[in-house]
Amino acid sequence: MPSDDAVISGRNLTKTYRLFSHPGDRIKQFFTLGIKQYHRQFTALKDVSFDIKKGETVGIIGRNGSGKSTLLQLICGILKPTLGSVQTRGRISALLELGAGFNLEFTGRENVYFQGALMGLTQADIDARFDDIVAFADIGEFIDQPVRTYSSGMFVRLAFAAMIHADADILVIDEALSVGDEAFQRKCFDKLQDYLEGNEKILLFVSHNVRQVERICSHAIWLEDGRVVKQGPSSEICAAYQAKIHQQVHGMHESHQPLPTVAYSGEVEVIRLQLFMGTCEQAVDEVEIHAPVRIVVDFRCRADLMKPDIIVGFNTVDSVFIAAASTAILPSQPDFPLGEHRIEVRVADLILLPGVYQIRLGFLDRHLRPMWAAHKLRTFRVTAAASSNLVRLPPGLVDMPFEWTFSSQQGKQ
Amino acid sequence: MTNSKHWFAQRYLLGQLIKRDVLLRYRGAMFGVAWVFINPLIMLCIYAYVFGHIFQARWPQQGNGAPFWLVLYSGLIAFNIFSDTVSRAPTAVKNYPNFVKKIIFPVEILPLVPLGAALVHATFNIVVLLAALAWTGQLNLEVVLYPLMLLPLILLTLGLSWFLAAWGVFIKDMSQIVPPFVQMLLFLSPVLYPAASVPEALRPLYHYNPLGVVIEACRSAALGQSINWTSWSSALVSGIIATALGLAFFKHSREEFADAL
Repeated sequence: MPSDDAVISGRNLTKTYRLFSHPGDRIKQFFTLGIKQYHRQFTALKDVSFDIKKGETVGIIGRNGSGKSTLLQLICGILKPTLGSVQTRGRISALLELGAGFNLEFTGRENVYFQGALMGLTQADIDARFDDIVAFADIGEFIDQPVRTYSSGMFVRLAFAAMIHADADILVIDEALSVGDEAFQRKCFDKLQDYLEGNEKILLFVSHNVRQVERICSHAIWLEDGRVVKQGPSSEICAAYQAKIHQQVHGMHESHQPLPTVAYSGEVEVIRLQLFMGTCEQAVDEVEIHAPVRIVVDFRCRADLMKPDIIVGFNTVDSVFIAAASTAILPSQPDFPLGEHRIEVRVADLILLPGVYQIRLGFLDRHLRPMWAAHKLRTFRVTAAASSNLVRLPPGLVDMPFEWTFSSQQGKQ
Repeated sequence: MTNSKHWFAQRYLLGQLIKRDVLLRYRGAMFGVAWVFINPLIMLCIYAYVFGHIFQARWPQQGNGAPFWLVLYSGLIAFNIFSDTVSRAPTAVKNYPNFVKKIIFPVEILPLVPLGAALVHATFNIVVLLAALAWTGQLNLEVVLYPLMLLPLILLTLGLSWFLAAWGVFIKDMSQIVPPFVQMLLFLSPVLYPAASVPEALRPLYHYNPLGVVIEACRSAALGQSINWTSWSSALVSGIIATALGLAFFKHSREEFADAL
């Protein structure tokens, strides 16, 4: 039974698609009235149950094809479940994709009104919000230009502005915020925060980006092959999900040598890249936060390398470049003659927050031409120190050492 | 949401969609919305020239002395509602995959859009017709029945649109198959000739098919002749049945739209 305060409750949702290998088969199927089967069945979602309460922000995570979009479509009522049921109370924002109702030939103004109508607003409702929408989208007089003349950023800004100002009870965002520039993304998240304040609304958020889900959502549902693997508080679910991904990526490393993301010109050949914690001689894939680490690279030069720029750095699994060390800033840069060499880069205090990261490595010649470059070279995991409480960790990518000073202005009068 | 409010929201949406559809066709064109008038007039001129002058076609019961082109026009308006709608129906849903897959949207109103647009055009045509009737001194009181006469045709077209729109999603060929059929129907329907000149043996076909009946009835209304109410009523019944069947079929198949698009 759905619990009483649930606003969205799904019970034993199963969705099976019929797949026809030829369009004509669908007609044959229609005329044979089910006596003969011309199709294969594909089950996108199997026996999924969940309750979402007022004020919850729920992230749906999972790999491509795990059933995330199908689940959203079922919740919105765009698809009907093959088995099971969904109940929702409140007005759902109608868009699974930003700007899905926009027509490129019409002006921004016309499209905003039309999208409002799609979301169940009357003309007067939209009149009242129109100025806010234009102000948020920040597109100025372009509002009266056809949408096809917009840059992709403007398009997304206007679509998001129109959506958020419709003030639905249940907001659905499917991968939408991955577009748009950083500043706009931040503005969107701020706006979302405002929107969620008061615990009256529900946000359903779908993303590959676990970090975003962790940041925005209070709860998460992890889907795999159409089944719920786990659901619960988002920090817990995201950590479990990342651990799983990490395992898979790690498994791939074992079987695929050399690495697939490497670009090289043949002058340099990297033999091995290893990560060590402290002075331990055993290479690791998991390090504790704030541990001293060493990155050791063994490589072979096929030609003499004069003062190359060697870059060793970190990025997140979603390719956000975090930090790098470069030999370019050294007062004197080493030369590497023909033969094998080893370099070691040390980080005294690894301030990366717990999560999964990758090491990038590049060799550039004096003219900054890449001779060997890879960004997803070695995947490793940063864990919380055994003593620390994961929940207490600050958000972000790094645990930067901050210092605070508090002083009072009183008595200065 | 109460039912009436829901219905209102849909009507508003439908209105917006039809407006977009009509405006989009003329947006950016030099003559703009004037094409609404120019297009039917050009067609009318061609028919009048070919059939009136070259073929020297004469309407048997042209008692009231209405010129041939006017008789033709009064039936053509009705036929155009049918042909405009039906030829666009197969793509009515297919061309809007976003509305099916990405938006909570009452998809069953999509096939109403071509019909709505056709009715907008018909309205302009009727204005032209009224002007022409007045100009030639043929204006009668019966012409007020003209819109009512269209009703069975509108229902039939609607039912057919739902049906074709659903099929169009699954079968891409529909948008190729339908237009030639529509072209064929132009010659088989009593648009260019009265049903009375059809051989006796075939006449029931014209008296029982709603398209033919409505065209005849519209012409009678426009020219102030007596309307065959029995045929018209039976056409109305066929229209209602077609609408109900079309909608039922559409609703039955809509669940699979999302995976076919």
